[in-house]
Amino acid sequence: MADPLVSIRNLTLDARTGRGEAHILRGLHLDIRRGRILGIVGESGSGKSTLASCLLRLLPGNISRLDGEILFDGTNLLTLDLKAMHAWRGRRIAMIFQDPMTALNPLFTIGTHLVDVLRQRFPDLTKAAALSRSEAMLVKVGISDAGQRLKAYPHQLSGGMRQRVMIAMALLVEPDLLIADEPTTALDATVEAQIVALIDQLRHEFSGSIVFISHHLGLVAELCDDLCVMYGGTIVETGPVADVLGAPRHPYTRALLACEIEAGDEGRLATIPGEVPDPTSPLTHCIFASRCAHVTEICREASPQLIPAGADRMAACWRMDEALP
Amino acid sequence: MSAETATDPAGQDLIAFDDVSVVFGGKVRALNHVSFRIVRGEIVGLVGESGSGKTTLCRVLMGLTSATSGIVTIAGEPLRDRLARDPLGFRRQAQMLLQEAVASLSPRMRIGTLVEEPLRIHNLPRVEGRQRLLRLLGRLGLPETTLEKFPHQVSGGQARRVAILRALVLEPEIIVADEPTAGLDVSVQGDLLNLMLDLHGEFGLTYLVVSHNLNVVRRLTQRTIVMYLGQIVEEAPTSALFSAPAHPYTAALLSTNPSVDPAKRRQRIILKGEIPSPINPPSGCSFHTRCPQMVERCRIEPPVLSETSDGRRVRCHFPISPQV
Amino acid sequence: MSVRPSVSADAVSGLVGVLRRVVSTFSGAVGLVIVVIVVTAALFAPIIATHDPDAINVLNRFQGPSLANWLGTDHLGRDLYSRLVHGASVAMAVALTAITAALVTGTILGVVAASVPARAERLILILFDIISSFPSLVLALAVVAVFGPSTLLVVIIVSVTLIPHFGRVARAQVLTVRNAPFIEAERLLGASLPRIALFHLLPNIAGPLVVLASMDIPVVITIEAGLSFIGLGVRPPLASWGTLIYDGYAYLSDSKLPVVIASAALGIATLGFTLFGEALRDAVDPRLSGDR
Repeated sequence: MADPLVSIRNLTLDARTGRGEAHILRGLHLDIRRGRILGIVGESGSGKSTLASCLLRLLPGNISRLDGEILFDGTNLLTLDLKAMHAWRGRRIAMIFQDPMTALNPLFTIGTHLVDVLRQRFPDLTKAAALSRSEAMLVKVGISDAGQRLKAYPHQLSGGMRQRVMIAMALLVEPDLLIADEPTTALDATVEAQIVALIDQLRHEFSGSIVFISHHLGLVAELCDDLCVMYGGTIVETGPVADVLGAPRHPYTRALLACEIEAGDEGRLATIPGEVPDPTSPLTHCIFASRCAHVTEICREASPQLIPAGADRMAACWRMDEALP
Repeated sequence: MSAETATDPAGQDLIAFDDVSVVFGGKVRALNHVSFRIVRGEIVGLVGESGSGKTTLCRVLMGLTSATSGIVTIAGEPLRDRLARDPLGFRRQAQMLLQEAVASLSPRMRIGTLVEEPLRIHNLPRVEGRQRLLRLLGRLGLPETTLEKFPHQVSGGQARRVAILRALVLEPEIIVADEPTAGLDVSVQGDLLNLMLDLHGEFGLTYLVVSHNLNVVRRLTQRTIVMYLGQIVEEAPTSALFSAPAHPYTAALLSTNPSVDPAKRRQRIILKGEIPSPINPPSGCSFHTRCPQMVERCRIEPPVLSETSDGRRVRCHFPISPQV
Repeated sequence: MSVRPSVSADAVSGLVGVLRRVVSTFSGAVGLVIVVIVVTAALFAPIIATHDPDAINVLNRFQGPSLANWLGTDHLGRDLYSRLVHGASVAMAVALTAITAALVTGTILGVVAASVPARAERLILILFDIISSFPSLVLALAVVAVFGPSTLLVVIIVSVTLIPHFGRVARAQVLTVRNAPFIEAERLLGASLPRIALFHLLPNIAGPLVVLASMDIPVVITIEAGLSFIGLGVRPPLASWGTLIYDGYAYLSDSKLPVVIASAALGIATLGFTLFGEALRDAVDPRLSGDR
């Protein structure tokens, strides 16, 4: 794969919890390709949100170990000092959260937020120029009455509007990487559809890469180019969305797909029996072994590496080359 | 009673809403002349976005909110009379599973105490009740060690099973399930829905399932009611509704449901704006501000919920005719 | 997804867990030690006292510390150590009775205020405002002027002035807890209102109220000592830390010891209860504890 924007190598993160040392990320390898939307899916406890926090270096205080590399255009984000990292966050990486209210200060108007972000990124910009650019961006993200909305406070806007403002803020920075962590989960279906359509439409104007984190496989399937499936703090499969979902190489991806309810399904619903792996136990076997329908001896003895599995694809399974039912 | 009211000649209806409205504080019309019926043993889905009134409808049905006008009838008796005559009896007949399963369990009580509460509240024979509890515990796939735990120590799926256990021990006929799969991972979701379907058959239950997850509604229910701004806009057998929605709002809502299978994706219909405030609802058809096929008439004349030949009810001047 | 401990905290929930978190800080540990000493002294005063606290021995006045009188004697030759220990009894008795009474009354009023119609609620809130706008010392002076000094009066006055304190917190707690899903779930099961209040509401609002009560103990101890010092509280010869200081004050030129010792006891006890109360608040505060 030619020159990715971000190369994550052996990213490992442990945290102290009441039950001991938890292995939250167990040595991840992942490339974020330029100009593409990467969807990260996984169930609760898979580590997908922690991965996003690592990209921003916004980590909780109980981290006991953080190893590996996050190479962003050749710079290792994990070794940057805090001041340099802060500059990266404002210029090259932007984030959209599930709840916009966590990122918007209720005491400031939408205009203040946008102008602030913009002038932090482009210090030479005059206030008037920043205002007009902000207004243009609000129009672009589909906010009517943009001039009026600049004077509004966050609580005066609906949830969908606030998420549009967040997207506008992120885009004003003209980042190379935009991270969206479940950006539509809190929204109603018809509003979610609007935001997804907006992201889909903006991708043509936006030159950077997008990381889209979601528990909703269908949404990722429709929106993203690449897919990364996480389970128990590991990456089990990556590759172009259509290829991965069309012919999954990892049993977990297959099981996850089977759990999706589709039109025309009959009979009993599929589930994945068993429990999610204990984050405190060390990885001496395949992370999915205890729930896998195709488990064999080797799966319980050693953990498979994430290795190439076809064009632009990777998977971590001992039996991926066998024809499994 | 309005012309929209369906009739019940055979007396089969377990639940009937006749022209029910709920107005909060004299201004907010949370429910706007809602009429529908649920027959014993049916599984009915209730779909709508926030502000559509589906939560209020459930609360009215459960007797937590009283209707401002209209009549709710449970098994032939007006709910108001029933609650005055025999409130505990009604609680044994109708139970509700709340959306936030973990938070619906009193945080300082052990699960063992929590599941025995219904027996105490209803003064049921202790020995028999406990035997039933243990049987149900096994039936719901909960290990006995769960009884020792506190609510925050169990998973979301287990908390849901505990809530179901607390309801079933009263041997109800009606179960209202508010977002039964909210917050559950997809790998667990199927388990819970399978269980709900099994229990429906085993205990002869009648379900009203509220969900924003259209896939869940499609798989679980026999009939679906779609609400918008306090009104029923469409009601139809689930398979008919999903294959050919007649109301433009239903069509738009269904089109937002993403699919992993590219062959099964619908052309997305993106609606303008968001649900208007129920304090100041639009004139005419309440959906006209967002409807892609709005004409002048929709702005002025409110459409009625009219019944079509195939057992469907639609509130639209120009319902979408099924493509042949 | 989150990295914070979730289920793990159950090992240390409940009373044991709270106490463990209290002593995990230095100030909390110091506070707890002082509290235990004062409470033990108060409980077992008749046993651990070496003399009758009221036994006068004029020949033996103003003695320094000795084997016979560990902390020396006062102007009437009474054993200071024994009087100090009995003073702890009085202080704790006054504090606990007054606070318990205020806690119970305040909680009941607060729960009632949160449950009755708005107009009745406003009446209760106005009552709280009236009580708390009245300076307790002035109230005490007025009452004592009419009825004469007495320990019971001190208890009643302090208790009444503390009622709004607990009432307001109880009301605010009820307002946040009563809309919780688990309350609704109980209603759906058919639970009666008293049942919900007793088994589901009270246990979930009790934490902050108990913390508040523990933080009020030092306040009440000082009020009692203050009132006794100016002769409006505990009546001589009953030993109270306030009367000890008062007695010592009159004979300051003969011996500084009684004042110093009684003041130190008062200061250390107040400090101990304050430290303990603050540590308890931190240990119970859901934002700091891990089990939510």
